Amino acid sequence: MTDLPLSVRGLNKKFGGLTAVQDVDLDLQAGICTALVGPNGAGKTTIFNLITGNIPPDAGEVLVNGKPVRGMVPHRIARMGVARSFQDLRLFGRMSVRDNVLAAIEHSAWLWQPGGGAARRAREAAVDAALDRTGLTALADARAADLAYAERKFLSMARILATGGRIWLLDEPASGLDPHSRARFVSLVRSAVADGVTICLIEHNLDIVTELATRIAFLDRGAKLAEGEPQAILRDPELIGIYFGERRT
Amino acid sequence: MIAYLLNLATLATVFGILAASLNLLIGYAGIFSIAHAVFFGIGAYTGAQLAILFIPDVLLACLAGGVLAGALSLCLALPALRVRGEYFVAASLGLQMMAVTLFSEAHSLTGGHGGLVGIPMPTLFGIDISEPATFLVFCLLVLGGVLLAIRMLMRGSFGRALMAIRDSESAAEAFGKDVPRLKTLAVGLGCTLAGVAGALFAFYMAFVNVESFTLEQSILVMAMVIIGGTATLAGPLVGVLLLLLLPAALSFLPFIPPTQIGAVQQLIYGGAMTLLMIFRPAGLAGQSTGRR
Repeated sequence: MTDLPLSVRGLNKKFGGLTAVQDVDLDLQAGICTALVGPNGAGKTTIFNLITGNIPPDAGEVLVNGKPVRGMVPHRIARMGVARSFQDLRLFGRMSVRDNVLAAIEHSAWLWQPGGGAARRAREAAVDAALDRTGLTALADARAADLAYAERKFLSMARILATGGRIWLLDEPASGLDPHSRARFVSLVRSAVADGVTICLIEHNLDIVTELATRIAFLDRGAKLAEGEPQAILRDPELIGIYFGERRT
Repeated sequence: MIAYLLNLATLATVFGILAASLNLLIGYAGIFSIAHAVFFGIGAYTGAQLAILFIPDVLLACLAGGVLAGALSLCLALPALRVRGEYFVAASLGLQMMAVTLFSEAHSLTGGHGGLVGIPMPTLFGIDISEPATFLVFCLLVLGGVLLAIRMLMRGSFGRALMAIRDSESAAEAFGKDVPRLKTLAVGLGCTLAGVAGALFAFYMAFVNVESFTLEQSILVMAMVIIGGTATLAGPLVGVLLLLLLPAALSFLPFIPPTQIGAVQQLIYGGAMTLLMIFRPAGLAGQSTGRR
């Protein structure tokens, strides 16, 4: 067992001739929010996909609570407490809000879930709590596809909350949110961090990054260029130049 | 006239079971199989052989047909685990074509093109249930049981898991769903129920041959599910009633010459499918897609 909930060592991934991730080392420290920052195409989402087993790395290792997970299928990594969101949300669109959250915490691949009535009531309580924290209780019976954009974003957070996972990988969770919803989102993530959840955040809005992240890893063209506290990274003129489109040679 | 209506009702009931079983795959799990007639056929041949060689008990035949069809559905489940979307449709097409050849050539098991004839009258625990009304009641009971089982399963965690996979396979995996195993279960269950329908079909027709288990039959059943409405209990039944009873209804219209019924039927099917996909893509009994 290690103190680090999630570590990435020497991660590499190429798609044909394109290097998507190159020798990336990354440590997510327990109970803080670490942001992955970089321009489009920096390899941020690819790193999430490599961590969660959606795509296999060409080289390198991913450790969850010190245990190597390279080669594991995504559902096994998820059951180790790694919960993620997607840029395009990937809600279960034809299902109700409540069923979206319930489906996220029912892991048995059989005709029914183990544990009987007590386990079922515990799952229902977790769903109720997640809907309450995300402000979706009144919409519990609405179909996910019929929700407004901000509500969909919060539903994707409710699914993660309900899992009880201790490592969250959030891929642009606040993009497109209005100021009120953005404030609610920040408050939600802060309370999760206060509860000891380890969060890795991909976000293009640097105000949100500043508000939430304790550390930033800066990536460009698949490589990690710098890692440190937000003030140091976001005041580095070279990194900010890269972020806003000045290419390095 | 009563005999004619009983015949239609029995066929509609058997096809109702078949369409409900395909709905489990298409509507709930998002697995588009065009090989469903194969498992209908396996159930029919198994039920027929059991009746001819051993005992014409319809319950035993349904069990045997269902179990064998479910077991052999692994042939379909294996590609289902490895490929997605349109690739699976192509894989199931391959299985359908291969199965028709096997049904035609395996004379000792299927009777080849001539089929299996002389299937004995159905019995249930030794009691003759061959009288049309009695057999219809038995088929309706099976249909009721199948619909009840599907309703219970789809309202529970298994149904939620399948629908999650249907809506977003990668998100379902990210939330701990063992997608290959769940898909295998769905295919196994759907094909088991198709096998049950096949066994009932064999007893009712008293004769089975490969013509009932072709690609056209698979497409017809798929059309029943899609037109009626996927992922609903009533949808497949609505589709069956429409596609099975329409030809019969047309034959009663005096202004359509008997020789033209086929052409009129095709025009109506084609027009109905086009209008349905434009105005009600979820099917007649499906949820409308309005946004709030």
